[in-house]
Amino acid sequence: MSNMKLLEIKCLNKSFNTKEILKDVNLSISSGKIVGLLGKNGAGKTTLIKLINDLLTPTSGEILINGKKIGVETKKVVSYLPERTYLNKQMKVSEVIEYFKDFYKDFDAEKAKKLLKDLDLDIEEHLSKMSKGMQEKVQLVLVMSRKADLYILDEPLGGVDPATRDYILDTILSNFNENASVIISTHLISDIERILDEVIFIDKGEIILQSDADKLRNKEKASIDEIFRRMFKC
Amino acid sequence: MLNKLLKYDLKYMIKNMAIFYILSIFFAITTRILFNMEQSVIINIIGQISVGCMFAMIINTLINTIMRSWVRFRDSLYKDESYLTHTLPVTKNDLYNSKFIQTLIFFFISFIVVLISLFIAYYSKENWLAITNYVKTITTGLNMSTSFFITMAIIIIFLEVFNAIQCGFLGIILGNKMNNGKIGYSVLFGFITYLVAQSLILGLVFVYGLFDSSIMELFKTATINIDVEAFKVLAILSSLLYIMIIFIMSILCKKELNKGVNVE
Repeated sequence: MSNMKLLEIKCLNKSFNTKEILKDVNLSISSGKIVGLLGKNGAGKTTLIKLINDLLTPTSGEILINGKKIGVETKKVVSYLPERTYLNKQMKVSEVIEYFKDFYKDFDAEKAKKLLKDLDLDIEEHLSKMSKGMQEKVQLVLVMSRKADLYILDEPLGGVDPATRDYILDTILSNFNENASVIISTHLISDIERILDEVIFIDKGEIILQSDADKLRNKEKASIDEIFRRMFKC
Repeated sequence: MLNKLLKYDLKYMIKNMAIFYILSIFFAITTRILFNMEQSVIINIIGQISVGCMFAMIINTLINTIMRSWVRFRDSLYKDESYLTHTLPVTKNDLYNSKFIQTLIFFFISFIVVLISLFIAYYSKENWLAITNYVKTITTGLNMSTSFFITMAIIIIFLEVFNAIQCGFLGIILGNKMNNGKIGYSVLFGFITYLVAQSLILGLVFVYGLFDSSIMELFKTATINIDVEAFKVLAILSSLLYIMIIFIMSILCKKELNKGVNVE
């Protein structure tokens, strides 16, 4: 394997009208890492994630995935979970599974059905009849049932009850291959801390820290959660 | 991937349009039955209600095809569903083509459903004869064959509708570019695009008229005494211009989409 990074972002800027949301963001993520993208509300986490997923257009700068610019080829290897429910609510879960199977070659329908069964979700149910929490679980299952190179999870624990959070984290841990990486954006740092390999702190649209999680803990002699609270104290 | 996108776009449309098709044909059948029954005041009133319902459904069918296409386009490319649409491994051109082809197919189906409904409700030898005689009167006056007249009329109606639909698509793209998610801008840009397209077609016909005096006469006279040959030329010319405008607008839409989106 070459030294090519899985995700590379160079001098990325994003503005809405005159407001700068992201300022000169530079970062790179290697394969096989679980990365926490951490920051306060409005820090630019979701904007950064949306830029990586082609939902926003950069004002300037470059995003490369496996050395390729964002496009059809990169979308084949990125599995993205947005922070909102985005599936067509007229569809049944089984139809959404077919949809994913049609568009993503790396989608494992059997695995999705098994995970849905574990979560007591009926695949013949219409999404419109499901609660928001249930829909979010369906989305997570679909995203984690792909054999992608890069998983991007925006607030995956936001809408679920604490009892399900551990199951979700275990699902994330046990369902991505060792060459893949996962970027998790969340406020619930203490919940995900145990699974993180790397952390990225973002504040006011700038990356203020990117570090190995263990090294940071040893250096600061504190948990990531405590370090975050210290750095972002109001 | 276009065929897969199209499959899901068509499924969406059929789920939403089926009810209008069914109701349109249902009221056509009730109209037929009620007017074939022995007439009484009650039957006549119910029959008139049935006619009203049938025409409401026919209008609904046509308008809904267009409105649903615009709504589908906006939802799929700029609302919550866009989080899935834009992360699919497909090109922006395929996304656009799928929406456009879906609209063409459903407008054609809706048109057929309207014809079937009218046929069910009103077909009789006398009515058929009256219609054919009426069309023959027009075509004789215009010195053209009936098949040419009907073909050109259908082509122009379809091209006009496709042009309007595409103006809506471009309006949605430009509106979202200017002001995320606010419907007002999309409507405004759609309307402006439509006016520009119509003015362009009219302008090009005028330019053609500079080289063809019979066409130029259309701009100079307010009477309906149109030269028959000029009418034929105008029908073919406007069809070609519509096709050209639709093609250009489709390129513009794709170009704008390929510049990237900003989803809220």
